[in-house]
Amino acid sequence: MVKEIERAGIPVVHICTVTPISLTVGANRIVPAVAIPHPLGNPKLSRGEEKTLRRKIVQTALKALSTEVSDQTIFEVD
Amino acid sequence: MKLELGYIPIHNIQFGDPSRVEDGVLYVNAEDIKTLIMKDERVASAEVELARPGESVRITPVKDVVEPRVKVDGPGGLFPGTVSRVKTVGSGKTHVLKGAAVVTTGRIVGFQEGIIDMSGPGAQYTPFSKTNNIVLILRPRDELEPHEHEVAVRMAGLKTAAYLGELARNLTPETIETFETLPLKEGMEQYKDLPRVGYVQMLQSQGLLHDTYVYGVDAKQILPTILYPTEVMDGAIISGNCVSACDKNPTYVHQNNPIVHDLFARHGKDFNFCAMIITNENVYLADKARSSDWTAKLCEFLSLDGVIVSEEGFGNPDTDLMMNARKITDKGIKIVLLTDEYAGQDGSSQSLADAHVSADAVVSGGNANQVITLPRMGKVIGSEAYVGTIAGGWDKNKQPDGTIMVELQAITGATSEVGFGYLSAR
Repeated sequence: MVKEIERAGIPVVHICTVTPISLTVGANRIVPAVAIPHPLGNPKLSRGEEKTLRRKIVQTALKALSTEVSDQTIFEVD
Repeated sequence: MKLELGYIPIHNIQFGDPSRVEDGVLYVNAEDIKTLIMKDERVASAEVELARPGESVRITPVKDVVEPRVKVDGPGGLFPGTVSRVKTVGSGKTHVLKGAAVVTTGRIVGFQEGIIDMSGPGAQYTPFSKTNNIVLILRPRDELEPHEHEVAVRMAGLKTAAYLGELARNLTPETIETFETLPLKEGMEQYKDLPRVGYVQMLQSQGLLHDTYVYGVDAKQILPTILYPTEVMDGAIISGNCVSACDKNPTYVHQNNPIVHDLFARHGKDFNFCAMIITNENVYLADKARSSDWTAKLCEFLSLDGVIVSEEGFGNPDTDLMMNARKITDKGIKIVLLTDEYAGQDGSSQSLADAHVSADAVVSGGNANQVITLPRMGKVIGSEAYVGTIAGGWDKNKQPDGTIMVELQAITGATSEVGFGYLSAR
């Protein structure tokens, strides 16, 4: 899906846990997620901490979306 | 470490009192087994049924298959850390009721449980159509959470296998096989001219009922470590998996791992089978990175020349497989990978979720998406209510005439990634 949307000229950020697969299939902007069963959350955190974490992941993704890349790039979440 | 396996062949099973083995027949006292299982207060009811090769019988949904064994000499007991106390096993003597198996079924725990047909086309795909099966049908107490339900079923299977194995304690084996692995330095001296070969077994550890236990430890929590290969023959590794039936390793397969047996068969002749390394398949990327680092490090530390790597399950573990391939290869060590494929029902899709150029020698257990039609069976042990919802099934896959269409995924052991199956390109 990432590749097909990009083929239509729209940049895509792939948020995923297993970034090696994302690299293998050819995503250009990749943001690491938390874990396979809960990519955008973490049941070990409190609600407040989890919201902060989720906001960071989304902000990293937005930053990636607006960044020019010349090669496949992984944008680490701070 | 040296282990003697003494095989007592079982050609038939019957109910009888007391439980015993006579002339190749295993007589099973169902009441004794029920009493044993019902000691677990999580179990509401237990039934025992028998299924023999060639019968018009379907067992489903199958959770685990376990081989009855007993340790007759040497430290520890069967299934250390779960049924027996923690003690390093794999040496001395162990008796095996070869040809018998304990199969657990009952209400579904997860959605990835299997089918064993004792005859017909389905029987050609599962190795457990050839065993005389003592089937436990377990009903847990209604309020149990799925993970507690899984533990109760797992323990019932293991305890029953240990109970039946005990019947072999004072019997004389018909055949004996001996397996020995020397400590590192002695092995290097004795086989100094032979290539050094190791076996890396990846254990399913994705959590959410996708778990494996090593000496009672959840494999999610291990760092890769080294085993003497004979340890697995005494039940050092057990399955707690509700993973796709075709390519998970039931406990029986851990006890009889064909890679271990085949490497032993050529040990000391063509190569030195030095050690077995176990690693996991976790759902955090950092865990995948750490475990594959450690696996490659242990291969290097053991000065291996060649390594066989087997995967368990599919999907994101394909990445663990590729990370292991890349990192072990980077150490200058040759590898061969064993996996299976999810290439779509027509076989034309990409087989694995991940790939790497270092994976240039790969053995496939078959395409798990291949569809087969299973005829109606005279008797169902368990329930056919789940054949549409288990992995490999789909809504309304049961036809009006009673036949069932499924992908091989739903057949227990059909595309075994350690080669414990019948699919072959030969």
